[in-house]
Amino acid sequence: MKRFDCLKLLASWIDEQVLTVTSLSTTAREWSPLWKRGPNFYGLNLGLCLPFALGLSLAFPRRKVIALDSDGSLLLDTSSLITVASVNPPNLLAIVFDNQCYGSMGPTATSRKADLEKIAQGAGITVTGTLQTVEQFASSVKKALDRSELSFFVAKVEPGREPIENDYMRFDGRPMRDAFVEALRRYPDYRD
Amino acid sequence: MDRDSVQMVIETLKEEEIDLVVTLPEEPTYPLTEALRSDPFFQTITVAGEGHGIALCGGASLGGRRCLFVTGIAGLLVGSWALAQMGFYSVPLLIMASYRGDIGDRSGIPGASLFLFNQVGEPLLDALRVPYRVINQKSALKRQIQDAHFSCRSYGTPIVLLLTGEVLW
Repeated sequence: MKRFDCLKLLASWIDEQVLTVTSLSTTAREWSPLWKRGPNFYGLNLGLCLPFALGLSLAFPRRKVIALDSDGSLLLDTSSLITVASVNPPNLLAIVFDNQCYGSMGPTATSRKADLEKIAQGAGITVTGTLQTVEQFASSVKKALDRSELSFFVAKVEPGREPIENDYMRFDGRPMRDAFVEALRRYPDYRD
Repeated sequence: MDRDSVQMVIETLKEEEIDLVVTLPEEPTYPLTEALRSDPFFQTITVAGEGHGIALCGGASLGGRRCLFVTGIAGLLVGSWALAQMGFYSVPLLIMASYRGDIGDRSGIPGASLFLFNQVGEPLLDALRVPYRVINQKSALKRQIQDAHFSCRSYGTPIVLLLTGEVLW
């Protein structure tokens, strides 16, 4: 399964009322050209993507918040799954794109014995899944978008990235942050 | 932390409409976090690690939710990557930390460990370019919380209040 195919599907299902957060990985690079409508916070890595999304889910309890994380990032701080399970926000959907490697720099622990879904289950998250095909991704993620319940999926994807042209490299740091906040401010439920 | 200081913090947080408090319990601030947990005004979250606790607060705060992270110097060390990232992305974030290792800390931790905190705490915040204030008098507590909350949102940066002296011991 290719990450880009999954992301294209996801982009077709959500609208600008949904918030997304991506880890600093190929996911952010591929999500960038697909998602221009709603607020997306690009590039939180080394374990920060999921907990940052958790915080947003508490700021916007009536909106769906999607964390688009990666195996290398989440593996750095799997204890965040314990906190996510403990808070149990019904509006948070976490999708971990697991390509079982650190880019071109060798395998992650998920290529061996580590199982992120089982770790999430052990942390206390009840709605989980490991998705091997685009069909499984479509079925599980679509259902999760339609229901109000914390959901966690590991999407097993191929290594490598889509050869796409985009402006991702220029859209980092403060400009990205400002665009994100500007989009949030347009929400009537944004509280400053 | 005695009852007066705890009450002062709680009253000030309410005035500032800070209703989300995130913490990983540690001894000197435990009376505060315990009191916050029992007050229905606050949503309190106990995290499993300081790094993701800071990121959680960052997401909430950038989303407009007024929140406070309560920790200690050790928690700032553990969470330093998250703190650096929140600073990089100009995320307003109010942090209250016990100043373990400050001169006068009689909390029972071996002196060598306290001295480590003493030596690295403030230099760490300087290196991360995180503004901070040391509060050692109860009379300054309310004003310092108000000012830090205002300025972290005005600057768009984390600000740390280091509690010590008669506020903490």
